[in-house]
Amino acid sequence: MGKVVGIDLGTTNSLVAYVENGRPIVIRDDSGDALVPSVVSVGEDGTIFVGREAQRRLLTAPSRSVYSVKRFMGRGIEDVHGEAALLPFRVSGDPGGVVRIGIADREFTPPEISAFVLRELKRRAEEHFQKSGEFDFEVDRAVITVPAYFNDAQRTATRDAGRLAGLEVLRIINEPTAASLAYGLDKRNRGTIAVYDLGGGTFDISILRVEDGVFQVLSTNGDTHLGGDDIDRLLVEIVLEQTGQKELAAIETIRRAAIQAKWDLSDVEETEIRIEPSGAVPAGYRKRITRAEFERLIRPLIDRTLDPCRQALADAGLEAKDIDEAVLVGGSTRIPLVRQVVEELFGREPHSELNPDEVVALGAAVQADILISGRREMLLLDVTPLSLGIETMGGVVSKIIMRNSTIPASGREMFTTGVDNQTGVDIHVVQGERELVVDNRSLAHLHLQGIPPMVAGLPRIEVRFQIDANGILSVAARELRTEIEQTIEVKPSYGLTDQEVERMLIESFEHAEADFEARLLIEARNEAESVIQATEKVLRRAQIDGAAPELLEPGERERIETAVAELKAVMGGNARAPIQDRTHALNHATQHLAEATMNRTVREALAGRNVKDV
Amino acid sequence: MLECRNCGAGAPVDEHFCPQCSRILALGRHGDYFSFLGLPRTLVIDANDLERRFRDLSRKFHPDYFYNASPTERLASLERSSYLNDAYRALRNPVSRIEHLLAIEGLPSAKSEEATAKVPPSLLEEVFALNEELDEIRDLRESGADPERLRARLEQARAPIEAKREEHERQLQELSARWDAQLAPSGVEGENASAEDKRATLDALRERLLERNYINNLLASIEREMTAVPHG
Repeated sequence: MGKVVGIDLGTTNSLVAYVENGRPIVIRDDSGDALVPSVVSVGEDGTIFVGREAQRRLLTAPSRSVYSVKRFMGRGIEDVHGEAALLPFRVSGDPGGVVRIGIADREFTPPEISAFVLRELKRRAEEHFQKSGEFDFEVDRAVITVPAYFNDAQRTATRDAGRLAGLEVLRIINEPTAASLAYGLDKRNRGTIAVYDLGGGTFDISILRVEDGVFQVLSTNGDTHLGGDDIDRLLVEIVLEQTGQKELAAIETIRRAAIQAKWDLSDVEETEIRIEPSGAVPAGYRKRITRAEFERLIRPLIDRTLDPCRQALADAGLEAKDIDEAVLVGGSTRIPLVRQVVEELFGREPHSELNPDEVVALGAAVQADILISGRREMLLLDVTPLSLGIETMGGVVSKIIMRNSTIPASGREMFTTGVDNQTGVDIHVVQGERELVVDNRSLAHLHLQGIPPMVAGLPRIEVRFQIDANGILSVAARELRTEIEQTIEVKPSYGLTDQEVERMLIESFEHAEADFEARLLIEARNEAESVIQATEKVLRRAQIDGAAPELLEPGERERIETAVAELKAVMGGNARAPIQDRTHALNHATQHLAEATMNRTVREALAGRNVKDV
Repeated sequence: MLECRNCGAGAPVDEHFCPQCSRILALGRHGDYFSFLGLPRTLVIDANDLERRFRDLSRKFHPDYFYNASPTERLASLERSSYLNDAYRALRNPVSRIEHLLAIEGLPSAKSEEATAKVPPSLLEEVFALNEELDEIRDLRESGADPERLRARLEQARAPIEAKREEHERQLQELSARWDAQLAPSGVEGENASAEDKRATLDALRERLLERNYINNLLASIEREMTAVPHG
């Protein structure tokens, strides 16, 4: 048997973790980077690029690159019309069917794109285990996280992605619950916790009670289309309006600048959206923006998280004052306004001791370890986020399993026939809280077959709906008079059939991965990229604060900027050696600055302590 | 009796694990949430005790702990966990607890459509008065009457129904306590509690539940009208 990992398959970034000696550890690359951007790009020759390299290709080959694919998992084309407009890739699909993503002459389903990201994480983990001298380093099983508010179709699509990546998916678990596991490693913890998870594309709130090592979710709520992406889009739209740019490459360049400005504003009160003149945006662009302006802009988005929070509290039968601890998860919770809103809502300062980007993967690794080791100190009891129902007369929903039921959960419904000797019955299964079928999510059409021929109304067919611990539905039916089991044909509304997944699996073997040299080249580029980013961040900070000129010696900034420019010049090329050489040179050029920065940080930390002691 | 699918030994229906080989037992056709959780059929339940039983059994059954077990045991774990979750949900809430008791004691459901369709006789007067008042308020609203006054009238209409509901809650509590006393083998009433007495208590409980559902519907229709009245 191979290795087992926990995977956070995020909208913007993904990462992988595992448990060693009872402690969860995030797997990093050589430059210490844990995040793999959830970006996939297809080269002219069909080579698949994933992560940092694919992210770079968003600038050079935007029409061949895909990001934020999590937003399309388990959804239909009619769901995504609005947001597809600003994306560089082609989004299509038949009404009432799965979304398809077009890259050049190829078409992919969202689970296929996600499978590329998962395969990269699998490879990264295997490399890690191999380097640490493990004999059996293959990674063949994983726990994968999803937003708590994902419906059945979105969960199933995630599980399909895992299968396509060659992973046995041990369990699909909810992101906020995973985070609580990571936070709750100290088993003596008890109390009521609210986990507020605002990621790149999704928002979740979960209320849990922790006692005797049992993590029991009381309620959950959320919005699967609300996250950092939406914040970026607000900034991008401002710039687009002012520059009149329309080309894909320009949009991508602007998006990068917007994200950088957003990050800056979590640390400083004022920054600028800055785009250097380039082929994509010939005139360049600069606009100062203060944190107050930014907060005014995003306030309506952040406020949209409040109703789900209140609903979750109400469903748990609690008030805000009953919450003992609030926990922040997801990169977007770095935004000060988000922290402020959470603090106001729950009346206490939220926890963020663990890195909000990494805490979900850590929890997934813990859950994976529980599953394979059978250790019973901790147990996660989650709930189904949405009610499950079936269509009845007049298009009205009859609910069978209520939302926030602890899973696994089951429900039964009796059916009979309408005409003599009828041997089949059709059942339409939906998920959601509304009264009418059309306002809910269609999950599947079931066709029961093999009902023994009888007079109309005589058969007593018991249909049993089972939601398993993954939050995924299965159905069984039996005629009670004859005890005959019926076969059920399932037509998922927004998912793949088993046959389709099988076919894709075979195809994925045919498109073999890039060769070893190509892999090393990509890694060299990644390394270069992260050194450049770190350097630019320090330089920017020095410039924005105006506080750090003493760190730089005369001419040092120029030397560093030259080294950056030289590295950038070779980075896009296909030769590995010059990239590595110039990365090394840049590292050398920044050595003094790095030391000076570190000294200052230490000084500040010590100074802070002195103030406190006094 | 249950039959262990592993060793073939017989087990009492409320056992969760085979007394002989200690493997998890398939659920079979279980219908009594109380006995599943090891509780008597009483209506007054210590919430903390219920939580504890739920957690303890979850730790025994949960599919997380059967990941490497045989398919039969995995299925048994899934079924027992689902059933445990259903049982916990039903018994946690006092009203669904009564509903479950009525069901296992063989009384017709208080939720079926025939049961809820006709107005309980004891509520006829209130229903009649309220419907008239609501009609009138609706007419006034459509002719643009002062929203403040309409709201005041709705509040006034709500008061007697609310009072009725509180009275029902009290009666449900009293009847629940009476049931528990009749069930106790050495209780004062228990010694003499005949099958008829118990049946009378259950009938009364069902009656109150039906009325309670109806009262909730009435309150909901007042609430609907309240939201229809324009603001300001």
